[in-house]
Amino acid sequence: MVEIEELRACAAKLLDEGKVKAVIGYRRGSAGLLAEPCVIDQPADTESLIWDPGCVHNLALYLVKDKKAQAASKTPDKRPLAVVAKGCDSRAVAVLLQENFFKREDVVVIGVSCEGTGVVDARKLAAKLKGRTASQVEFDGADGFKVTIGNTESRVPASEILADRCLECRAPSPVLNDVLFGTAVEQRELAMPFTAVKAAEAASEEERWASWEHHFDRCLRCFACRSVCPMCYCPECVVDSTSFVITAETSAEDKANRVRWCERSAGSGESALYHLTRAMHLAGRCVDCGECERVCPVNIPLRLLNTKLEMEAFEMFEYQAGRDVSQASLLSSFRDEDPNSFVR
Amino acid sequence: MTPVQDDFEPKIVAFLCKWCSSAGSDLAGVSRLQYPPNAVPIQVMCSGSVSPLYIMSAFKKGADGVLVSGCHPGDCHYMKGNYFARRRLFLVQKLLNFVGLEKDRFRMSWVSAAEGAKFAEVVGDFVRDIKALGPQRRLKARR
Repeated sequence: MVEIEELRACAAKLLDEGKVKAVIGYRRGSAGLLAEPCVIDQPADTESLIWDPGCVHNLALYLVKDKKAQAASKTPDKRPLAVVAKGCDSRAVAVLLQENFFKREDVVVIGVSCEGTGVVDARKLAAKLKGRTASQVEFDGADGFKVTIGNTESRVPASEILADRCLECRAPSPVLNDVLFGTAVEQRELAMPFTAVKAAEAASEEERWASWEHHFDRCLRCFACRSVCPMCYCPECVVDSTSFVITAETSAEDKANRVRWCERSAGSGESALYHLTRAMHLAGRCVDCGECERVCPVNIPLRLLNTKLEMEAFEMFEYQAGRDVSQASLLSSFRDEDPNSFVR
Repeated sequence: MTPVQDDFEPKIVAFLCKWCSSAGSDLAGVSRLQYPPNAVPIQVMCSGSVSPLYIMSAFKKGADGVLVSGCHPGDCHYMKGNYFARRRLFLVQKLLNFVGLEKDRFRMSWVSAAEGAKFAEVVGDFVRDIKALGPQRRLKARR
């Protein structure tokens, strides 16, 4: 069990000693059972930190935002940040370190182990409660959640409402950490890794396209998946050339000839280009935190695209994102024995 | 499955590396080998410089097939560009097939500057396979 009092004390101590400028953690949200990410810079405020199955967010995102804010600021505050990280979040930090996005001394990882469970999938819970709204979900033992609805509490087996990625998770405790709360868990058997991808793969080509066309067609291109992803930190995304500044001197020809990989028009073709390109950009970098899928307003199973490549990387190249800070990244390394039979 | 039209001539976008495959296609030309004219060659400096985005974009703009061709492993002008390409495009191929694009629409080949005949064969086979599949409508943007 994660002792939340100890975690709060640790965060307060870090702030008290001035080792970090702020602690990024979770606090009780005002909207239902999901926690709310918060940035705490006063030791007294650490009392609001929580750890429960509603802590779904990947807080590595805020490390990226801080780094970007520092780059844009004339007087950046270069003191390190502390971040509360689950297994998947710590993998995200590891990938960012591997890519030299920031340095190891810039971040203090307060690891929390998910132990036997993980975080809740709000959609699964809503389906299970059949219209009732839960106000809080807490850990209950090693494999259960305590769900509070109004004044009644009930125990739900964790496997019923756990997020898919938590069911398939291979590293529920943070590998990269400066301090760890809860017991480190190596392996657990809730579902085999890549269960969802393998199920999707079992369908025929026509069926797969039918379902993906349906998904791509619905995509609003709100780019919530991109905004929430700690790995999508490019200053300019290939699908919207924001750095193309139109001034009084810009000729019509320049405007017409600028490279537009993705048009704004709605349609499955343009959306497919965006999602496939994004999946490729995340190949070997996606840590399967499942945030893109969670924030999607039209429920596109984006996790499938990323885990498909994660599975190929694992099976063909024995590569796991975020396992080791010093490993060469998937696409910047190769072996002589890489698959060659698909090439003529 | 779209019915095969007899007069369907596939459009193939071929990304050929400057040092081997482009020279190979030249050799096929100067050797007067007969092969289908459906492949539009785009010379790139190295197969490793072919971004997955080029491939997605070609399909989006209506290509019926995309061919990426480079030097044989070990022969890359830049030492290891084709090894990077092989790993990256392996993933692209898996991903495209995962969302339901027919497997035969994307192909990669190693063609050296001396293999004009192989280039003609690769393009010939590719055109034959794509003719069997019909026009690519899945990833093409509708207008």
